[in-house]
Amino acid sequence: MSSASDPKRRRRRQETPAEQTFADLMNGFSLDSSRKRPRESAPVPEPLVVVPHVPLPEAPVAELVPAELPDTSIVRAYAWTGGRTRSNIHLEIETLVSANDQTRRSAGILQAEHQRVVELCHTPRSVAEVAALMRLPLGVVKVLLGDMAERGLVDVHQTASAGGAVPDLGLMERVLSGLRRL
Amino acid sequence: MDYVGSRFPDFGPPGPPGRELTSAKIVVAGGFGVGKSTFIRSIAENDLLTMTALAPERAGLVTELVRIQFGRVWLDPGLALHLFVAPQWQDPRAGWTDVVRGAVGAVVLFDVMRPADSVDAMRYFEDHKIPYVLALNNVHDSVRSDVKAIIRGMGIAPEVPVLTCDPRVRLSVRETLITLTEHAKLDRWRRRPGPDETTPLAPVC
Repeated sequence: MSSASDPKRRRRRQETPAEQTFADLMNGFSLDSSRKRPRESAPVPEPLVVVPHVPLPEAPVAELVPAELPDTSIVRAYAWTGGRTRSNIHLEIETLVSANDQTRRSAGILQAEHQRVVELCHTPRSVAEVAALMRLPLGVVKVLLGDMAERGLVDVHQTASAGGAVPDLGLMERVLSGLRRL
Repeated sequence: MDYVGSRFPDFGPPGPPGRELTSAKIVVAGGFGVGKSTFIRSIAENDLLTMTALAPERAGLVTELVRIQFGRVWLDPGLALHLFVAPQWQDPRAGWTDVVRGAVGAVVLFDVMRPADSVDAMRYFEDHKIPYVLALNNVHDSVRSDVKAIIRGMGIAPEVPVLTCDPRVRLSVRETLITLTEHAKLDRWRRRPGPDETTPLAPVC
């Protein structure tokens, strides 16, 4: 009797740790962790300059495709935002963003692309300027800046026409007097 | 958050402190080679920048990148004016939304030798009720009055200002932008009295 039950118990003992590791494995494939992974592994020493050189730890397949194709670089840039094309914060193309004092102090520990944005935004820049200077598509920059604004890394200075409304008369008056002073 | 002008000493003329940072934009449209980039270059602080965007209205052609040129000028320490070239596409209306939304107004450059090139842009702004001015380029003195009469006869709204503009001359560009902003201000009063901007004659309850 005892000899018959022993192997069962032994099997059970062997199975329990195996189940745990399998669960761990499955957790590793869940959507949330795959989105976090690039952020954790991202602190790369050299600052980001051009899109094709962006280190993409989670997309090794893209490395095999020639980087000259414009299509691939778009796909890669969107892979880099976690596949998202929209951000929670409303940004127009002319909306100004600037790095705040706190971000400047902690610039050393930021992710490479965030660091580049912070460097650019030491002086206030518009979303369009960031997109042009980083050579990234507008949609990618909007997501990137939206993320950074949510984490308090950059200040967003909403335009008077935010939300698609017509600029208010106060702003128009200011534009007018500014143009007259030019 | 208040941003004192002295915090950004690199920008623009010194102005009244304590103003928040904000921005405005103006769209420059017109036919190919009519002088849109030259127009912006005449007044912007730096050379033009080019950003890329995916044309959002064209869902089927996801990988089609659109280049949009723009320039920036600081009008006071807290106000950055952006001037965007309305992008040229086969279908000029596709993808203009991002550029046009919330703009003060638009300058339509109009080459009198090639009038048909700018009609699409004019029609777009008329349809979307965006204030615009018509800036005539390439006008010789001898034909000026005739040209204006002909353009008026094309059926554009009578309140749209029509003026001549040399995109290479900074003063001329500045004059055009001032005319546009004044027109946009009037247009706003005339067309869209918002809920918080009641007219003086509104009854007080």
